[in-house]
Amino acid sequence: MLNYLKEYFDYKAFLLCVSLVGIGVLSVYSATFDVGAAGAFEKQVVWAGAGLLSMLVAALFPIRPLQRIAFPVYIVTLGILLIVLVAGKTISGSKSWFGVGGLGGQPSEFAKVATILALAAFLARTTTTLSNVKHLLIAIGIVVAPMILILAQPDLGTTVVFFAMLLPVLYWAGASNFILAAIIAAVLSAAAALFGTLTFLIMLVIAGVLLYLTRQNRFAAAVAFALTLAIGLSVQAVYERLPAYQQKRISSFLNPELDPKGASYNVLQSKVAIGSGGFFGKGYLQGTQTQLNFIPEQWTDFIFCVPGEEFGFLGASVVLILFTGLLLHGIKVAYLSKNKFASAAAIGITGIFAIHMLINIGMSMGMLPVIGIPLPFLSYGGSALIANMVMVGLLMNFYANRKEH
Amino acid sequence: MIYDEQFGSPRRRKALTAIVLVIFGVLFLRLYQLQLLHHGEMDKKSEENSVRALITEPIRGYMFDRNGELVVDVGPSYAITLVPFEFDKPSGGLLSSLLKMDSLALEERITRARTYSEFLPSRIKRDIDIRTLATIEEHLPILRGISYEIESKRVYPTDAFASHLLGYRREISDAQLTQFSDYYRQGDLVGIAGLEARYEPYLRGEKGYQFVSVNARGQIIGSFEDGKRDVPAREGYDLLLNVDIGLQAFAESLMTRNGYSGAIVALDPSDGGILALVSKPDFDPSILSGVTPSELWSQLQSDTAKPLFNRATLTRYPPGSTFKMVLAAAALQEGIVDEQYRIRCTGAYRFGDRPFKDLHVHGSVNIIEAIQKSCNVFFYQLILKVGFERWTEYGRRFGFGQITGIDTGEETAGLLPSTAYYDSRYGKGKWTQGNLLSLAIGQGEVGVSPLQMARYAMALANGGTLHQPHAVRFIRNKRTNRLEEVPRDSSSVGISPEVMALLREGMRRVVQEPGGTGGLARIPGSISGGKTGTAENPHGEDHAWYVGFAPFDNPKIAIAVMLENSGFGGSKAAPLAGLVMEKYLYGQLRRALPKPAPAKPDTLRVITQAVR
Repeated sequence: MLNYLKEYFDYKAFLLCVSLVGIGVLSVYSATFDVGAAGAFEKQVVWAGAGLLSMLVAALFPIRPLQRIAFPVYIVTLGILLIVLVAGKTISGSKSWFGVGGLGGQPSEFAKVATILALAAFLARTTTTLSNVKHLLIAIGIVVAPMILILAQPDLGTTVVFFAMLLPVLYWAGASNFILAAIIAAVLSAAAALFGTLTFLIMLVIAGVLLYLTRQNRFAAAVAFALTLAIGLSVQAVYERLPAYQQKRISSFLNPELDPKGASYNVLQSKVAIGSGGFFGKGYLQGTQTQLNFIPEQWTDFIFCVPGEEFGFLGASVVLILFTGLLLHGIKVAYLSKNKFASAAAIGITGIFAIHMLINIGMSMGMLPVIGIPLPFLSYGGSALIANMVMVGLLMNFYANRKEH
Repeated sequence: MIYDEQFGSPRRRKALTAIVLVIFGVLFLRLYQLQLLHHGEMDKKSEENSVRALITEPIRGYMFDRNGELVVDVGPSYAITLVPFEFDKPSGGLLSSLLKMDSLALEERITRARTYSEFLPSRIKRDIDIRTLATIEEHLPILRGISYEIESKRVYPTDAFASHLLGYRREISDAQLTQFSDYYRQGDLVGIAGLEARYEPYLRGEKGYQFVSVNARGQIIGSFEDGKRDVPAREGYDLLLNVDIGLQAFAESLMTRNGYSGAIVALDPSDGGILALVSKPDFDPSILSGVTPSELWSQLQSDTAKPLFNRATLTRYPPGSTFKMVLAAAALQEGIVDEQYRIRCTGAYRFGDRPFKDLHVHGSVNIIEAIQKSCNVFFYQLILKVGFERWTEYGRRFGFGQITGIDTGEETAGLLPSTAYYDSRYGKGKWTQGNLLSLAIGQGEVGVSPLQMARYAMALANGGTLHQPHAVRFIRNKRTNRLEEVPRDSSSVGISPEVMALLREGMRRVVQEPGGTGGLARIPGSISGGKTGTAENPHGEDHAWYVGFAPFDNPKIAIAVMLENSGFGGSKAAPLAGLVMEKYLYGQLRRALPKPAPAKPDTLRVITQAVR
């Protein structure tokens, strides 16, 4: 019986996920129980319940049909994103909430799942080879299409997440160093474009060297370099069109002294909260930074401060270890899977979790820019929680079926 | 060939695993850095963030007179406060009209409040009257961010002004603030004159602190740790004065009804306690009881009547004939003359080629009669026998040329000339004995304050002890609830009882015997001693002096009266001294108050009425 369970029930993924959700629910309670966000805790508990059910469904869904519907679902998702862009409600400056019969939802969260599955399904096709430029461009296009729709909402954070998911999946699927270098070069030039001309030029040189070192033929390298240049320039053009609040977030990260009371104020308060936690923390519901609401919207993007301040180094380390455990487990599932679709999807899911963890915790500790992405399982928010738990459910599914082709 | 390896190869697994571990390592190290390495610094920041100390003002100490009567009280004063963050700009117009404040001035106040704190209340107008407060209170619901604070101000329940004695407070100056920034903050009232200044550290008490938690916007959301760490304000210590406030009020009224400017200082001869200290013109201290508007302050300062100038301790006029006992004491104590020694007064004394006049022809006088009749000729001749050095020495013994150490604030040391002084002033050999003859009768360069004269009268009254004049007898320590005596110095003038008795006999005759110059100081039913004086004033009318004490055998009060530009001491100053002493000895007058001298307008009254 126990062996049977071990064989088919991915208890590791389940326990890691449930532990993180549990810490998240406690943290949301601490951050909200005495402020204006009344009812947040109850909602989060309900969503966690819904997430468990969704996780179960995802874990039991047969893989072959899943692979077959992946692309149609992806197309529908793109349609929904398009509708959101045209008609969605505006929540804190971006149009990503989708009203369905009184329930709000963030389609971009579910778009992550749909995109991973669609990409994995495409890569799993026996006819697909990444050496084929057309196939490579399709693979990239599957990710870039929703990315553009989400960037237009505009939601910078989720856009970054999509892009970050693409790299490990392509790598896993066997992309050459040159392909990865070309993508990285493009991203670097896009990012450098925001730092001004000098940085952009330096970055172009680095991109050029990268492409030269990994080149397989000169023509491809030259094309990639031209693309890199074009992307950098277009990013600059897009930046000019970004709403002021996101421009400010970017510039305040680039130069924190510029704006001590704006976006970097949150980071300062967040650092203070985590730092003041010390080794053992101030105790549950005792964190002054948390309880006195020094960190705006703490129950969403800055939720990591709560375990950081109230449970200290001990508690925060536990959160980090649980996440890392989940990531390593995701890679293991991908490795064990004999099914290419499941394997690629598992890497995509792991990549999503990894980039969320890195950026969210990194920004809470003042290492990365505040681009507004939640911490999976911990941050308040139904769509993200359910989508993330569905992804864990999929991991469990892939684990259970790891031996099937 | 783009494919270089297989789908999901072990090498790629290792690479991705390594990336995950690197991410973990980086975040973990950062966590370690923040929570363990920089913990202290962050913890401090977190506490500074969320806890603010609000100051609770202590109640200032009270002052009671020697009979336990409350002289300086504390009453409420209302200040309008504003929290810049909550205040709506559009309601500025309403506020400025309610406060009767210029909108520009209001705006400037708000800007200053903003630089102090966006979220903490700042006082924008203080000491408003109760009617303004009432109208503001009605409008509070529509005036967001506006509130009021109760502060304390001084209240003076008695009839006396005693302005130069009690002193007053003003908003702390920037210079004081940098010096005492550990206790005071901007806008605090601090004693700058009189007892309020000298006893500031005792009177002020200790500020308390109330710790409150604030949220990220600086809004107060409750007390911090249920107020466990709060420090209550400590009440200031009370001053128990030697002053008889009834006597003070009476002495002031005598000055006012006669329109005199000058000073009256009355001391207790047994210990130097100040019974009354009057300087006229003065001002009603209640106009300076709270925050003093700057226009009133500059008006008081530029007033030609100089109401802020303490004539009792800061004037430096020649003492006139009241100084004759100094010379007499020197002559008798040094054995240069005795009471048998007589001269014939012909009404003038020729020294060199200059005649020195006397008021009368006194005939044959000894030293006692010379004091009684204030015979100048006797003293002209006496100083030539005694010599300058000894005169200066005895002047110093009676405390002239030195400060008294009074505890009410500024005072002058006066000027007691000496050979050294004349040598430096005129040059060696360039001054003559003629200068000396003027000094013999208290004219010329010698300069004394009424306070010094009162101390001199005290020494003559008590047989030769100089006590340090002091207004405060006890400080009531509010912590131990004990009365702490204020330390003071006493010294002897070093004159034998026999000599003292002769001087006093002369002073008795001044008042009690026919031919004495101070008969108008006589107190019904009591014998007293005294001496009149008239300070020659080249710039105008002479200053009238009187020093005295009563009762003669067991003096309870010693007094000095100085009236500026009012003429003879015997006719102007002596009657006032008599009345003040009588009031003190009996608690009331045993006779009808004499008619006042022709009134002069009291310029200050006009001012203070106009301001109020």
